[in-house]
Amino acid sequence: MIEVTLKINGKMYTRKINPMLRLIDFIRDEIKLKGTKEGCGEGECGACTVIMNGKTVNSCLVLAASANGAEITTIEGLSNGDHLHPIQEAFIEVGAVQCGYCIPGMILSTKALLDENLDATEAQIKEGISGNLCRCTGYTKIVEGVKIAQKKIINSQEGD
Amino acid sequence: MQAVGVNYTRPDVYGKISGKAVYPDDIEFEGMLYAGVKRSTIAYGKVLSINIDEIKQLPGVEYVIDYTMIPGAISHGVIFKDIPILVKDIVKRIGDCLILIVTNDKESLKNALKQVKVEYEEYEGVFTVDDALKEDAPIIGDGSNILYDIKIKAGNIDEGFKEALHITENLYCSQMTEHAFLQPEAAVACYDDDGTLKVYVATQYPHYDREEVARCLNVSEDKVKIINTTIGGAFGAREDINPQCHAAIATYISKKPVKVLYTREESIISHSKRHPMKMHYKTGVTKDGKLCALKARIYGDTGAYASWGMNVLRKAAVHATGPYVIPNVDIQALAVYTNNPYSGAMRGFGATQVPLASESQMDILAEKLNMHPLKFRYINSFEVGSNTATGQKLVSSVGIKKCIEKIAEIAEIKL
Ligand code: FES
Ligand code: FES
Repeated sequence: MIEVTLKINGKMYTRKINPMLRLIDFIRDEIKLKGTKEGCGEGECGACTVIMNGKTVNSCLVLAASANGAEITTIEGLSNGDHLHPIQEAFIEVGAVQCGYCIPGMILSTKALLDENLDATEAQIKEGISGNLCRCTGYTKIVEGVKIAQKKIINSQEGD
Repeated sequence: MQAVGVNYTRPDVYGKISGKAVYPDDIEFEGMLYAGVKRSTIAYGKVLSINIDEIKQLPGVEYVIDYTMIPGAISHGVIFKDIPILVKDIVKRIGDCLILIVTNDKESLKNALKQVKVEYEEYEGVFTVDDALKEDAPIIGDGSNILYDIKIKAGNIDEGFKEALHITENLYCSQMTEHAFLQPEAAVACYDDDGTLKVYVATQYPHYDREEVARCLNVSEDKVKIINTTIGGAFGAREDINPQCHAAIATYISKKPVKVLYTREESIISHSKRHPMKMHYKTGVTKDGKLCALKARIYGDTGAYASWGMNVLRKAAVHATGPYVIPNVDIQALAVYTNNPYSGAMRGFGATQVPLASESQMDILAEKLNMHPLKFRYINSFEVGSNTATGQKLVSSVGIKKCIEKIAEIAEIKL
């Protein structure tokens, strides 16, 4: 057992864990944040995507121990109380959500992409979410949602 | 019709975009146990022995359950009850369930499943429809390898082909397809205070599930409650029972809440598939470009168990002509047992495979006629008043001609 401390959605969590525990298990089983999903457990589907120190990672491929000291954002950290993030609003507006299982990961990949490049072109958007599989939607509405989110974020920044 | 053309926000979207939607694996109870099944690694054979006594001694193992410990029915199925909940002796496909292990934590379950040793007497199986239909083929089904055989005949097939200027005859094969919904199967079972056994599961048929769980526990249906959680995709593969009965049996025996969670690999191995089909098509067309005859033989590989095999092949037969008028038809569709993964429901349910054949035939014949393929479809497509191959007179809602006109207009094709 080793002790690790992770900052998840702005809160510090210290736990004694098995060194082989995956980050996804730390998030779901130790901290009980169930919004991060497991689809494959081997880095293929992106359902388990979280943002770690500003970059997306597949939390099924990261050991919790190696994330010691890291800052993590999960889907639960995205909305501010009842106030939805513009990406969430956009996904709702355009009908980008079907079964929903890919959506937490998809939204976090979108956030990481737009945090880095708010003006991402369609090709860059597609590349940005290429690690996230969606079996329901066919992606069209998701890409549209990302474009609407871009506009929403740009407008809100101009309003500031 | 008020909803057509209007955008509505789906009520479940807020949970789904915030991570609050509850899928079965998100459910936990105090003192919950974990259960999983050891599955067969051979496609056909007899189980000679399993090291159950050794498994019982492993750390964290609470129960090892075999078919003799199931209180009620030992098999399930949407139409025929032929899928073993736990195998008695014969396995018919890779992925048949052998024993159910219940442990007090996830790690012990993983470890215990790895330690299971099964001895088999392996038999030679059949893996293609052609082999399964040979006279000396081993019988995988219930007395026969033919689960279902439907014939649709209309007009006079020989006369029909006599009218033809061109005839094309081809074989089309479609592949097995995996649904690959994103949320692997999971279920949590527990007892309610009033003694009702509850199963939380993502399912397409809570009412069927209730019946199957009650049957295997040998209790009345009012003692079982199926709670449908948020469903992480289904596409047909959540029509058959997957983890429901195993979770329920483990709770029945342990009296504790139990979770069953599949890995992606187990998900793919265990549930149904889209029927691979072999489709022999012979289609004739007159000199005026009118379809005059179709002879079709459609063989669906239904795998080791019935599931929805008959319904899927019936639909393939019914849709064999495509949306086109063909006055003389001779169609036969068969669902054939093999030792492959069992086939069942998947989006389209048999109507999806046949267009590969029927539409390819259309393209080939249009080329022979030197006619634009869109025009060829247009002059043969159903309209109000047409008769389908099954003798159904279409009386309303036949939009294909209009649709083709629109395509032709946009693509600037002369019909
Ligand atoms: S669960 Fe991590 S990539 Fe699929
Ligand atoms: S909405 Fe179902 S997988 Fe994306």
